[in-house]
Amino acid sequence: MDNKPDSSERREFLRQTGLGTALLLTGISSLSACKATRSMSHIQGGMVGANYQAGHRLRSVAELMKLPVQETVTTDVLIVGGGVAGLSARRWLAQQGVRDVLLLEMAAQTGGNAAYGQNTVSAYPFGAHYLPIPDLRNQELVRFLKDINAITGFTYDGLPLYNDYYLCHDPEERLYINGFWQEGLVPETGVPEDDKKQIKAFFALVDQYKQAKGSDGLDAFMIPLDRSSADSQFRDLDKIAFTQFLNNHKFTSPYLRWYLNYCCRDDYGATLDTTSAWAGIHYFASRKGRAANAKDSDILTWPEGNGFLTDKLRGQSHSPIRQNILVYELRPNNQGVLVHACDVVSNQTIVIQARKVIVATPQFITRHLLPERPQGSGFRYAPWVVANLTISGLPQGRGLPLCWDNVLYNTSSVGYITANHQDLRDSLTKVVTYYKPLTDQDPDTARRMAYNTSYEEWLTQVLDELEIAHPSLRDYVSQADIWVWGHGMIAPSPGFIWGSERQLAQQPIDNNLFFAHSDLSGISIFEEAFDQGIRAASQVVSTL
Amino acid sequence: MVSTNEQPATKEGLTSLHWLLLISVFVIATCGLIYELVAGTLASYLLGDSVMQFSTIIGVYLFSMGIGSWLSKYLDGNLLKWFIRIEILVGIVGGCSAPLLFVLFEYVASFRLILYTLVGLTGILVGLEIPLLMRILENQLTFKELVSRVFTFDYIGALLASLIFPLVLIPHLGLIRTSLFFGLLNMGVAVFLLYRFNETRPFRATFSIVLTASIVFLTAGFVYAEQIMTYAEGVTFQDTVIYSKSTSYQRIVLTRNNRELRLYLNGNLQFSSADEYRYHEALVHPAMQARPTAKRVLVLGGGDGMAVRELLKYPSIQHIQLVDLDPGMTTLFQQNLKLLQLNQRSLLSPKVHVLNRDAFTWIRQDTAKYDVVIVDFPDPSNYSIGKLYSTTFYAELEKRLTPDGLVVVQSTSPYVARKSFWCIRNTLTAVGFQTIPYHAYVPSFGEWGYVLALRNHQWRPNGSLPAGLRFVNTQTIRDMLYFPPDMAEVPVEANKLNNQILVQSFEEEWAPYGQ
Repeated sequence: MDNKPDSSERREFLRQTGLGTALLLTGISSLSACKATRSMSHIQGGMVGANYQAGHRLRSVAELMKLPVQETVTTDVLIVGGGVAGLSARRWLAQQGVRDVLLLEMAAQTGGNAAYGQNTVSAYPFGAHYLPIPDLRNQELVRFLKDINAITGFTYDGLPLYNDYYLCHDPEERLYINGFWQEGLVPETGVPEDDKKQIKAFFALVDQYKQAKGSDGLDAFMIPLDRSSADSQFRDLDKIAFTQFLNNHKFTSPYLRWYLNYCCRDDYGATLDTTSAWAGIHYFASRKGRAANAKDSDILTWPEGNGFLTDKLRGQSHSPIRQNILVYELRPNNQGVLVHACDVVSNQTIVIQARKVIVATPQFITRHLLPERPQGSGFRYAPWVVANLTISGLPQGRGLPLCWDNVLYNTSSVGYITANHQDLRDSLTKVVTYYKPLTDQDPDTARRMAYNTSYEEWLTQVLDELEIAHPSLRDYVSQADIWVWGHGMIAPSPGFIWGSERQLAQQPIDNNLFFAHSDLSGISIFEEAFDQGIRAASQVVSTL
Repeated sequence: MVSTNEQPATKEGLTSLHWLLLISVFVIATCGLIYELVAGTLASYLLGDSVMQFSTIIGVYLFSMGIGSWLSKYLDGNLLKWFIRIEILVGIVGGCSAPLLFVLFEYVASFRLILYTLVGLTGILVGLEIPLLMRILENQLTFKELVSRVFTFDYIGALLASLIFPLVLIPHLGLIRTSLFFGLLNMGVAVFLLYRFNETRPFRATFSIVLTASIVFLTAGFVYAEQIMTYAEGVTFQDTVIYSKSTSYQRIVLTRNNRELRLYLNGNLQFSSADEYRYHEALVHPAMQARPTAKRVLVLGGGDGMAVRELLKYPSIQHIQLVDLDPGMTTLFQQNLKLLQLNQRSLLSPKVHVLNRDAFTWIRQDTAKYDVVIVDFPDPSNYSIGKLYSTTFYAELEKRLTPDGLVVVQSTSPYVARKSFWCIRNTLTAVGFQTIPYHAYVPSFGEWGYVLALRNHQWRPNGSLPAGLRFVNTQTIRDMLYFPPDMAEVPVEANKLNNQILVQSFEEEWAPYGQ
């Protein structure tokens, strides 16, 4: 019951004047202090998610083999790896009536890249954190979303109604550029006309690709990507880098290139130079979701990120799961596959005789399990750093208020999301999740650097960067947890998606060993991993 | 001490230079009093209780001048240099005091501390001025001439200040510009002294830089002040502030004049005691007339207890659940005597259960059913409040209704914010409610809108109403249903969590009224 709404502009103006004064005072007080390094000692937290330490034990399988045998078990189907692909395979097997299934997970929790944490403020993701509303032709995914009440019903013309609590709430995205928080991530504020023209032309072009069909009648770009057209006029785009494609089309605008580079980093942990043009276009031309209450670009998200989906996926089967179990050897025998695994807590060996095995691990793990198998060199993984900051407020400059996704133009990160954005309570206390793909160096160098960087160094880097847009943010942070992903996600380098390696790596061995993982698709998204799991599980069902 | 090549003054006559110096006394005296008046006015403006504010500000100011006078004996050496220095400082501190206090008011918890610090600092600096000036002039005039002239000009300056402040400055310049303008006058005195006296040569260059920077700074502030002023009209109040408190959620301010009491939240008028009965009767009685036997009623927002006061006129009601986010509001309306008179102690009734919770979270957890729900949230001026006007929220609300239950939603002004009003109506329709939009004229707000939302269309505006209503009767209700063409329905989408179109249209439509 207001008759006078506060004009946000004026409020903003005064707020900034106040902030300016505060800054001035802070500036003066820090000048008088001998050094302007501000304390972070009040910040709780540390490095989390050291899964790689268990994984690194695979480098010396000989050591693992010396461990005493704790137990021997048998199962019809063994799933190695409890990420999205493994959990999806397990769900599919349960739905096909396969009862005797065991899943082993190296880490303390399942979910893989959808890992998440929780504190008194909110749950928060450490990895994947959203799902675009899917293409209706992706029937299995639509069915899954219906099963978990992410789709609450369908209209008479068959369009799904998405759960309002899961559809990302408005305001969704903003970009800090030229000193201003603008709406949306495509640069606009202070962007010259010529750049705007190029940006418009680029979107018109990718929209054509979105509508395009190949000579085989299939869509040029689909999710899952293996359903895309085989027409060479599209697939040949995989042979060149995205940069090359942009050069060919005279897309020179630095603003456009920044945006596209941001997209490659955000989705693939790669840059314009290291992403194939096909994958770069796929990002824009493959989202064809339709809904009665959402746009095709809308997404579903949860405080715990895709951890919500993996928990639900896990809940769709009752077959046993054992965590903290590191599989280190897969040996085909006449009854199927003899599997050796190490219980990383008790440090003892478990021997499993399985009829079939679904290897739902990334290739950098798989190669240790099957050393005799030819190794592909095209599987490259970008390292990532993810930081979750619990904050009691977020000082900021002009423009749009806090959104779900918040990106800073021309910085080393891909921005941060507000983990409790979907929480409908109005609270100043937030958890923000900051994502940074390490794309400045080649993956191996960056990975070594990442493992050798201390918590304090990471925290300083993260805060220094965020303070560009949020002055004195340090003082508002109460907790900061940092997760280093040595192998964050598969990078779709030029030639990889439609090259032969990924096809070869998908081939089952002797109808006993089957493979499922998003890196077999070449892009690391939930839909691909979900589909890979179903594909491998179907192969198993047909051979049981 | 003043430049020796000047002609010494006779005991009777003054040189033009002395006149100019005495004019400086006059100017600085005016400036000094103006700063005091600015601080006093600002304090009563923002904090209320003007007797208290003026009294303490004058006290602190005069006492600080005393400190300044005492400190003046420690200043030796080139007195002219000291004096120019102090003029610059007075100009900056005094000149910036009003804008600084305005800006900090909203954001600083211990506003009084800053206020008195600034007043004290200005007082000390002003207190230094006259003793220093007298020492500068001491060899030029006899003691009795000196005292007589200096204080004459000092007091004339004070008189002028006290007259032009209320008559000219406040109406024409406003507080912020007044303060900055007199800061510039202090600078002017400094400039005059710097260039008029040859002995300032050694430090003229340095001081020129400082002075130029300060003048540019104050002038910029003077220009910029327009915006601060415009803003200030939004957060400050024409009437006497009798209560103000910042809670974790909002700033609550009560003002009073001869006629009425007004409540503002974050500078937005919530009600005026003169006509709030119109707003609250229109909010409650059309719904209650349709469900006169309602036993359980839910009120969302409405922490002032006024809607509850209207509800308590129905003896059939056994239980009123009130959910308001801010304990600062509900406690105020449960304790303050003036406000208890206004809401007739409604929040203290044994039938009323007050909960301070976030409505969205609460409604998802609540399991009770209600016959009538009164939704009295603030207008959807930001995304957090916009959520409480979404399809999702209304769907949750619908689950809390008995089969015959109904909801009434305060829906902003259909005249000012036509799209917003019909957006709220369409949002209720989108989740399956039958709706009856209506509006009433509330003088302090203008045309105000409401939407009744029913699970079934069982509503006839002819039931009996409690005795003693001042605005609503059967005829009023019938009239409220008619929307003249300038408020008639416009096509607009429903407000959803994932589009929040209401917040956008609300902002657009109210923007021209933001002054």
